Amino acid sequence: MVENFGTRMKTVNSPEKFVPIRLLLVDDEDEFRQTLAKRLARRGLVADQAADGEQCLAILENKAMDVVVLDVKMPGMTGIEVLRHIAAAYPKTEVILLTGQASASDGVEGIKSGAFDYLMKPIELEHFFNKIIQAYDKIQRREAEQQEAESRRQMQQQMIVCERLASLGTLAAGVAHEINNPLAIIRESAGWMRQFFARDEFKGMPRREDVFRALDKVENSVERASRITHQLLGFVGKSEAAVSEVNLTQLAEEAIQLIIHEARNRDIQINRQMPSSLQSIWSDAYQIRQVLLNLLTNAIHAVNSAGTITVVVEDVGDSQVIMVSDSGPGIAREHLDKIFEPFFSTKSPGQGTGLGLFVSRGIVEKLGGTIEVSSELGQGASFRFRLPKHRSGTAEFSQSSGHNWHEKIRSRFEGKKGEKSS
Amino acid sequence: MIKIPTRILLVDDEKDFVEMLGLRLEEAGEKVTPAHSGQECLQVLEKMEIDVVILDILMPGMDGIATLKEIKRRFPLVEVIMLTGHGTTESAVEGMKLGAFDYLLKPAHFGELTAKLESARKRKDEQAERIRKAEAKLLLRKSGDI
Repeated sequence: MVENFGTRMKTVNSPEKFVPIRLLLVDDEDEFRQTLAKRLARRGLVADQAADGEQCLAILENKAMDVVVLDVKMPGMTGIEVLRHIAAAYPKTEVILLTGQASASDGVEGIKSGAFDYLMKPIELEHFFNKIIQAYDKIQRREAEQQEAESRRQMQQQMIVCERLASLGTLAAGVAHEINNPLAIIRESAGWMRQFFARDEFKGMPRREDVFRALDKVENSVERASRITHQLLGFVGKSEAAVSEVNLTQLAEEAIQLIIHEARNRDIQINRQMPSSLQSIWSDAYQIRQVLLNLLTNAIHAVNSAGTITVVVEDVGDSQVIMVSDSGPGIAREHLDKIFEPFFSTKSPGQGTGLGLFVSRGIVEKLGGTIEVSSELGQGASFRFRLPKHRSGTAEFSQSSGHNWHEKIRSRFEGKKGEKSS
Repeated sequence: MIKIPTRILLVDDEKDFVEMLGLRLEEAGEKVTPAHSGQECLQVLEKMEIDVVILDILMPGMDGIATLKEIKRRFPLVEVIMLTGHGTTESAVEGMKLGAFDYLLKPAHFGELTAKLESARKRKDEQAERIRKAEAKLLLRKSGDI
């Protein structure tokens, strides 16, 4: 987001360029206000104007503003009153207060009430202009963070759905197996009865045909039930991969962006060893991102606070490798073997489903790769997964509507990148 | 012509299944001995002459594959038909490589089972016949040497 600020600073040096900030100047001194507006306009910043608090609020009702510059000393509503109003009704709008030399305490009061900053009159234009840009950058940063949180929420939601499907699959397979056995017994029992009543000695038995009809019904029902169990068993492991060209460095960076705030909050540093020019591979971006997100989230939970996570992307012959290492407490030897098993979790109940790594391994293997862990107590842990550059077998292209949200996030990332480079 | 019953050893840990399938096979004129584990299967084979073993793959303790290896090592003439549940087809293929005669997916159709039993029995008889002839030749040559 610092990049954004950089872009704005460039604009300062090219006054002819239009600055797309919706700005409202509120001051009861007409001449001062108009002069200010004129000089800002010369720098590409066009402002709306209001002569007092009431007028300011009336304008805000009809037009959303990014930044409001508010004189503190005004007849009628004071600047502080207007500020409180704005803070309550328009939380996205940033306010810069203008105070007189003698009323600097008003400025401090204003910041307490939610103003972005205050400037003392007489103001220096360059400084004032930059202050507006900074306020606007804050808005953009906040929006980006919100978007990021939203993407992360969606991704986690998707992960939960995926994990639920996996556990449902495990459950279904278990149930189907258990039901198949009694079904086999019913089938053989009915079969035996059919053979038994087919004996010559029962030829003249009254209503023998009814017995056979009843047995038909038993056998048909068994057939029906076993079709269901077979469908259930077939359901497990069925979700086709959507293969496209994938750049693992880019994908890793996107995944990192989704957790970077969480990492910063916990004072965790993320080191990257990812070649910027990396050959694309044929794989499923959405699924790989899930694995990455899963490993990164695990790493954050392992480190907990103050530590490092290292993400390495490497090209090794006919495959590429991603490694996520953390400086956490490491994994006990007796847990290492079980770590990819379903429902195995060292997190406290409710914290983890115990399916994350199980699902991740399923994904990696479905994509024709392998995943492994190495760790020693006190030495951190390192998860390494390898993906083939070309997936063997048939490559299906993404058509599934279920991946729409993923397209949305991708385009959002691309949009962001475009903005940086402009 | 009187049908000579196939001597079948039916091995599955699901006792009711063994009982009912056993009744069906007996009703069809075969001779069935039940067993409910790999160990029990091998114990029966030590004591009795068996033509075909019907062997479930998924069993607690000694599973079908381990049992099959032991059967083929100690009783190579006995034919084995593997019974496999959904998802263990790989084990069935492994079983074939280890010398099983064939495999059937559970739940198997009775007609299919009896057809495979017949083929297995036939192969066993032919093999026994070939061995008998070879042994006879060997004996002849030995007696000729003397």
